[in-house]
Amino acid sequence: MERVREILRALFRRVLSDHGREPPTLTDVFVEGGTRWLGPQIGVVFSNGYRAWAPLQRSDEWRSSEELAAWELPSRRRAVCREAHLIYAEVLAAHRLELRQQRRSRIAQQIERLAQSFRPRRESALFFTVGRRLFDDEGSSEAQERGMRLLKENLSPLQREQYEKHRYFEVIGGRTGRRYRIRHGRMMNIDQLDAKGRQVCGWCFFPEGHLVAGDVMLAQKLALELFEAEALEVANRF
Amino acid sequence: MAVQIVMDRTGDTRHEFDATDAKAVALAEKRFRELTGRGFRAVALGEGGNPGKVLGRFDPTVERTLFIPQLQGG
Repeated sequence: MERVREILRALFRRVLSDHGREPPTLTDVFVEGGTRWLGPQIGVVFSNGYRAWAPLQRSDEWRSSEELAAWELPSRRRAVCREAHLIYAEVLAAHRLELRQQRRSRIAQQIERLAQSFRPRRESALFFTVGRRLFDDEGSSEAQERGMRLLKENLSPLQREQYEKHRYFEVIGGRTGRRYRIRHGRMMNIDQLDAKGRQVCGWCFFPEGHLVAGDVMLAQKLALELFEAEALEVANRF
Repeated sequence: MAVQIVMDRTGDTRHEFDATDAKAVALAEKRFRELTGRGFRAVALGEGGNPGKVLGRFDPTVERTLFIPQLQGG
């Protein structure tokens, strides 16, 4: 009988792999005694019309009859049917558990991707839809213009050129000599770079008081150039 | 004319004063103390985008002093 159970499990796994999202109900199990030319076989029928079957060996048939104490075909069929329903419930529960785990894993991956993309990189779509208002600028357009004018007045020619071209400029840390990139923005806009210009990490600090982006970037530049250690002490690394 | 530039929500507010006028200098010094006492950092701005220097005390000879509000981590 154990072999019959294995065959049934295999049949059920097959139907769930084909129709796993909406598992059909097991409606019937048939056991055919076989003919002179065809051996015995066991089959399953589902509510959606799906049928599957597998051959049985004569010895399986005999052993299952003995174990189930059902020697006649109709009584053997009823007994196998009861057994099949139990096995299907078992396989279905395992299948649902697996689906739940897959779903959880997909959700975890999506959360991870979302967390990654929430970092306010200008190239990410989320930045433009959500982050821009939060990270980009503050205050009236006059205030923003004044802030930008003050920033540009105090950038070196190279920094100004970088900013005009790429909306970022680079700064050398006054104490450590580290290289930083200040991207246009008000927060989470400082990248620490390695010698090859690759991002090592990000730093987030800004002056209090809801200042415009130009003021914030100028404060960040001067802080890194003139009092780097104090600035990094209050900053958050990301 | 020297100028004190205070970063604020309007972009900045500028206070010009004549470094030869004792009364104006006293007023500028008072402003310096008030702002630094509130946590602002005073920076003497350099020319051509050079970093300049942090001012620990009022210096009437500095042409452009920028007041940066206290920094906070985000």
